Amino acid sequence: MAIDRKRIIDALSKVTVAGDENGLIPAFGVLVNQLPADFWNGFAQRLTHLVDSDLREAAELLLVNAAHECGYHTGYGIITSEEWKSVVAPMVEKVPEDVLHGAVAVLAAWGWANAEVAELAPGERMVVRAYDYYEADPVVCGRARRPQAFMLRGVCAAFMDLAYGGPYDPTGATGLRTFTCVQTKGIECGDPYGEFVVTRART
Amino acid sequence: MKEVVFERAFDPRRCRHLLEGRTSVLHCHHYSTLYTQLADDCTMLDARGLLARVSAETFFEILSGLQRKHGWHSPAERLAAAERYYAFAGLGKLKIVSAGPDAGEAELERSHIDEGWVRKWGRRNEPVNFITQGFLAAAFAAAFDRTPSDYAVREIVSMVSGADRSRFLVARG
Repeated sequence: MAIDRKRIIDALSKVTVAGDENGLIPAFGVLVNQLPADFWNGFAQRLTHLVDSDLREAAELLLVNAAHECGYHTGYGIITSEEWKSVVAPMVEKVPEDVLHGAVAVLAAWGWANAEVAELAPGERMVVRAYDYYEADPVVCGRARRPQAFMLRGVCAAFMDLAYGGPYDPTGATGLRTFTCVQTKGIECGDPYGEFVVTRART
Repeated sequence: MKEVVFERAFDPRRCRHLLEGRTSVLHCHHYSTLYTQLADDCTMLDARGLLARVSAETFFEILSGLQRKHGWHSPAERLAAAERYYAFAGLGKLKIVSAGPDAGEAELERSHIDEGWVRKWGRRNEPVNFITQGFLAAAFAAAFDRTPSDYAVREIVSMVSGADRSRFLVARG
């Protein structure tokens, strides 16, 4: 594999954004925002802990879905961006596997998680390990009974959609949700890292 | 008011972006509008209010921290800084039209949430910008040395409904 993760993180973590004269950040084909992690965590945590217990899983899946759609559309914008072309594309030898490794390195550069692809069965399965991620921050004492990295679950599945789910579809009607992700370990649960297992979605 | 420079850093060991010393993340309008839609749909626990409260609490800490750091004392410079932070974060072009410790009014000329919502799903009749409701409560509380829960914010005109700008009324409850 020719992907140099460290070089990608070094280069792309320096790309900074700020609102334009309209207070908007149009980039990668989407409108971007840069908000404190506490904001996203605060809403996700309170929502999932306040809903009736029989609705908790449904609420979690909706949070995962938000990231799944975000990862799909923004991920596509990233892998077709000028930044990608200048930094990552020259390292890509094998498509789409190297693209996938590169995309997970970009995920780290963007500050979503210090993550890497631990296993990859092309077209079938991917395991991502995250050694630091903001979604683990809310648990400051003890251990969570349930993993709660909803954003990373969605993004990992989205990246497999982009790699193996067929052509990108801006409407999301096809291509999106061809893969699904389960979080099997979590820093918030006391594990040394978060682990995200992506497999083909059952139709 | 001088240009406000927001302090950024990247921690390569943890792969975290820090903005004013706090972990900050980039997300897109798909993410923010789906969170908003989830808040809108989850009526059993007033998740709209929850999203606005989380917004108010989060941004109150940030705006208060910026005020302490830069020594801003007048409400005018505090509110101007809030408008700049709002734009810097990519949330849009916010103008606080009038403000006092008891009430005020704000307008939104461009909006990440409203424009993102329209891009994704089209217009709708009811307002969706719960995040900005919270932000305004935070901005007024920080400006007038109160707490965000002191303020109620209502969005009375919305870009998501087709208006050329959104209008918000802010008042102490």
